[in-house]
Amino acid sequence: MKVIALIAAIMTGALLIYGIEEMPEWGDPNSPASSHVSPLYIQEAIEKTATPNMVTAVLADYRGYDTLGETTVIFTAGIACVLMLRKKRKGGGD
Amino acid sequence: MLDYVIGKYNFWIYVVLMMIGLYAMMGKKNLVKKLIGMNIFQSAIILFYISTGVKKGGATVPILMGHAQGHGHQAIDVAGYLNPLPHVLMLTAIVVSIATTGVALAILILIYRRYNTLEEDEILKIRKDTGV
Repeated sequence: MKVIALIAAIMTGALLIYGIEEMPEWGDPNSPASSHVSPLYIQEAIEKTATPNMVTAVLADYRGYDTLGETTVIFTAGIACVLMLRKKRKGGGD
Repeated sequence: MLDYVIGKYNFWIYVVLMMIGLYAMMGKKNLVKKLIGMNIFQSAIILFYISTGVKKGGATVPILMGHAQGHGHQAIDVAGYLNPLPHVLMLTAIVVSIATTGVALAILILIYRRYNTLEEDEILKIRKDTGV
């Protein structure tokens, strides 16, 4: 079983390393991740949201509903932990 | 070959980390070790995304400096700030990873209470013997 897992991990790693060839250089200012929509956020964040911190502007203004859903995730996880770990009441229903 | 490795060594590190996590999730018998493997996997992905936001050549953290608040008419040098989008996405990913880790640890506590072990093969043996 461990041998199969090791072989599967090495093969997946080889596949990913094959994909590295297509990745941009580390720190390239013109890489695809930094060239399409990211400059708009950097330039317009202060104008549209009045927030100097662009991470905060994107998190709480542009993607506010995403953050709302994220808090739902946290809430659900907390509720699940409480429900699983609470002490069972003595003499209560089953 | 050496240039090929060194030129993009950051991706090699993430692939190695990710495969360590994947192997731990598949090959280990202990459920806590599987969970640690999942966390290593998530950390590798987070590091990978953060590395896509790096700009070399004098870029700083994505917080505006020296611009008067509310005056957005000065040209903002895009190359002077790191890409904020990977940071935002990984902020969300870290939060989700904390939530999943918490729920998984709670489930592990329940499993330990019921079977008195966290070894996968022992749990399967107990389930087989008792017919549950």
